[in-house]
Amino acid sequence: MKLHGIGVGSMVYGVGYGFARPDFATAEVEAAADGSLTVWSGASELGQGLRTVLCQIAAQEFGTDYQDVRVVSADSEKTPDSGPVSASRSTYVQGNAVLQACRDLKEELRSLAAEMLKADPSTIEFSGGYVFSTTNPENSIAFHILTGQLHARGRRSHGFGWYDNHTEDVDKETSQGDAYSSFAWASQLAEIELDTETGEVTVLRIASATDVGKAINPKLVEGQIEGGAVQGLGFALLEDMKVERGVFKNSHFSTYILPTAADVPPIDPIIVEVPDPKGPYGAKGMAEPATIPTTPAILNAIADACGKWLKSTPAIPENILHLLGVLPDERKEALSIKDIPYPPF
Amino acid sequence: MSEFQKTISQAVRISQSTGPVGQSVVREDAVVKATGRAVYAADITRPDMLYGKVLLSTEAHALIKNIDTSAAKNIPGVHAVLTARDIPGENVYGIAVADQQVLAEKKVRFFGEPVALVAAETPEIAEAALKEIKVAYEPLEGVFNPIDALKEGAPKVHEAGNLLLHTRVRKGDYRIGFEQADVIVENLFRTHGQDHSPLEPESGVAWFDGDGILNIYSSSQYIFRDRKQVGRVLNIPINRIHSVNTTVGGGFGRKDDVTVEILVSLLAWATQKPVKLVYTRHESMLTQTHRHPTIVRIRSGATASGKLTALEAVVYGDTGAYASLGIYVIKKMALHIGGPYYYPHYKADSFSVYTNNPIAGAFRGFGILQAATVHEVQMDELARRLGMDPIEFRLQNCLREGLTFSTGQVMDQACGIAATLEELREYVKRHGLQFKKHPEHQEVER
Amino acid sequence: MDDTNYITMELTVNGRRVSKHCRSGRRLIDFLRDDLNLMGVKEGCGEGECGSCTVLLDGKAVLSCLTPMEKAIGHEVITIEGIGSANRLHPLQEAIIEEGGIQCGFCTPGMIMSGVELLARNPHPDRAEIIAAISGNLCRCTGYQKIVRSIEQAAQKMSSS
Repeated sequence: MKLHGIGVGSMVYGVGYGFARPDFATAEVEAAADGSLTVWSGASELGQGLRTVLCQIAAQEFGTDYQDVRVVSADSEKTPDSGPVSASRSTYVQGNAVLQACRDLKEELRSLAAEMLKADPSTIEFSGGYVFSTTNPENSIAFHILTGQLHARGRRSHGFGWYDNHTEDVDKETSQGDAYSSFAWASQLAEIELDTETGEVTVLRIASATDVGKAINPKLVEGQIEGGAVQGLGFALLEDMKVERGVFKNSHFSTYILPTAADVPPIDPIIVEVPDPKGPYGAKGMAEPATIPTTPAILNAIADACGKWLKSTPAIPENILHLLGVLPDERKEALSIKDIPYPPF
Repeated sequence: MSEFQKTISQAVRISQSTGPVGQSVVREDAVVKATGRAVYAADITRPDMLYGKVLLSTEAHALIKNIDTSAAKNIPGVHAVLTARDIPGENVYGIAVADQQVLAEKKVRFFGEPVALVAAETPEIAEAALKEIKVAYEPLEGVFNPIDALKEGAPKVHEAGNLLLHTRVRKGDYRIGFEQADVIVENLFRTHGQDHSPLEPESGVAWFDGDGILNIYSSSQYIFRDRKQVGRVLNIPINRIHSVNTTVGGGFGRKDDVTVEILVSLLAWATQKPVKLVYTRHESMLTQTHRHPTIVRIRSGATASGKLTALEAVVYGDTGAYASLGIYVIKKMALHIGGPYYYPHYKADSFSVYTNNPIAGAFRGFGILQAATVHEVQMDELARRLGMDPIEFRLQNCLREGLTFSTGQVMDQACGIAATLEELREYVKRHGLQFKKHPEHQEVER
Repeated sequence: MDDTNYITMELTVNGRRVSKHCRSGRRLIDFLRDDLNLMGVKEGCGEGECGSCTVLLDGKAVLSCLTPMEKAIGHEVITIEGIGSANRLHPLQEAIIEEGGIQCGFCTPGMIMSGVELLARNPHPDRAEIIAAISGNLCRCTGYQKIVRSIEQAAQKMSSS
């Protein structure tokens, strides 16, 4: 018999390291005479698209095109140390460092533009490839002319940015305190079909509502949401890491089964934007939030279908048949709730 | 103008009008990757380069009585065979705690732990040399789950004992909270491990310049920490190490920790030639970190009207033979085991525990994938027992501005959980989906 | 090294005649990467499970990590480097760039080769045919959605041009 079900999973994720761990990023930016920009960032591009996002942030700040920005990343003889790329922190922390580097350099550019335009520096804005005073936008200088003058007059063409995201540690005894400087939020819905004879679970669709604060690049955000959901689906249904007496038994791709295109349902990314005032343009971390809710959404959809919650992952056919009572549970290592007492208050 | 160039120039126009933030501009590395020209660590070659291989432990817990490398060293084309004794600096590293040996010295603590290194002129010769290294092990009793590992008299993975960290979270008084509860759901959960499987296995190339500068090109999430750790093991000042991130073929937390950087640098130091070390998929899976398997006992209570009152949980995280980031993963799990909901009373304990299992470390989710698996089944079961819609029950209890997290931290206006749930509520409606009724679950009349 | 371990590889690679005296008994991927410097051919598992090393052998998608190099003698091999370049992209390369079907990029060359083979034998594939064609190519980053869409879009581009 084929049973059908839907389920929801939600999560909160403290972005960054917390616990008084170093959580900083550094960046430098240079405006060349022709208006092209170089950003030095110590953070690694892992494929998530960080460098593209940093290009966009710098271009936004200088009012230029993102293709005029080049990001040089993670080379100890070129870039400053920016901390690790992990904990969903890079857009947030590295993005803020780049923002600060740009704003540092903009101070110099702003004062030069004010001199050239005979305007108050506080009225100078950067937009659409031009620099102008808001009091008289007609009177403008092309950005590349301004940077040309910056170099011709021997002015400062470098900006430096540092952003510190660290929090104090929580109390040692009670863990009370401000643990994280930013939180990320996500909820997913999974629709599944469960074959009661084979124990097989097929995911029919996933809807992923992920709060990213601000999608600096919506397509990259979708990529994280879709890829994250599939990693979660792999964990829930396929990737049964078998370890027997310390030996990882299925440590080959022939036996450790990763999701293929054929295992993946349509995924509907729903980008939610509740801005974080501390994030660059309101952005939050989102790489991990995109993968976390998938497994619980699937487990709850299984329960919606058959009335029982699987409490021992993964939801491979064997475990589902145990759950349905079709197969007797003969696992040796079975633990009971009594074996796990709660520690004292 | 091709279609592609048109798309690009269109993107340029859009960004010029409103600024690029918020635009789906094409990624800056898309063309180099689509044309196969992106340079990953394994794609780097140097003149006179050697190939490194690593001999992995075939025991999960054993004393090393002897390592005989003489036959391997005599194979033509082999330039170096290294064991722990050859390490010029300290034989230790670790991302959070320096508890891991670069090459196993007196004992091995997991199946797949590096024991010896070879550098040879071809990968085939290096492979042949590995087979000639004879390691005499004296097997020790091992410990393979965190509950057993904490028992009195359990075999010790490390001298100081198997408990890496105990985290306590105490907010309010859970006893009061459970007294107020009309429905209590209690469960035991077990979550399994997961392999990150980035499509690019861990890879690196290292060489010394004539002036003694060590160059390391590797696939890493944090070259600056790799560099510090290499310096300590090779006894080289950090400023004489040049670390470069190549194109990275996926990380997901796996490459947050040191992968091949120290090993390939040791071989470059010993041979004074460029050395490339690329793990096979199998070696990658055995040697690198994984997602923590966990055991969680939890109970959560709610009033008949659907308000959460209390949570009590205990988490056991199996961090394997070395800590990696297992301290913070399992600590974070204790803080997040209640999920994005407001509990006035919250009591959670987590234990990060050493075993002789594969190492667990950072993996996309960092303990919260496991936590969410637990707290979301709890929420669903509570909703069903209360006869409430699962989304409404979550919305009724989710964190909002002014409410406090498990640590007492007050949520600010950036708290977005309700917005994500409202989106799903709309989605369910729009697509005509429905939660099934399971009358057998319901305890509370509505 | 003993000369009996050497062989002359004569074949066509990316449209060019190649004649190379080199060590024998290796895999096609080793010959392509180590002897011809075609580094776009990626090794993700070496066991024929991930598809990263996919190349075309006489127009058919093959796993170069499972193919003995000698099997390519006298035949035609096309790798990602022979599909298109930055200033002359193949429609599928254009599509995967525009759709955002690339993240870490490690699976991308193999994925594109499987897609190119599909489009050559079936210019109007449906979704199921696309999924079947790339189901031997693992991707750990994208969740496949945008890759499938890229192939759909490339099919449209190719039929309208």
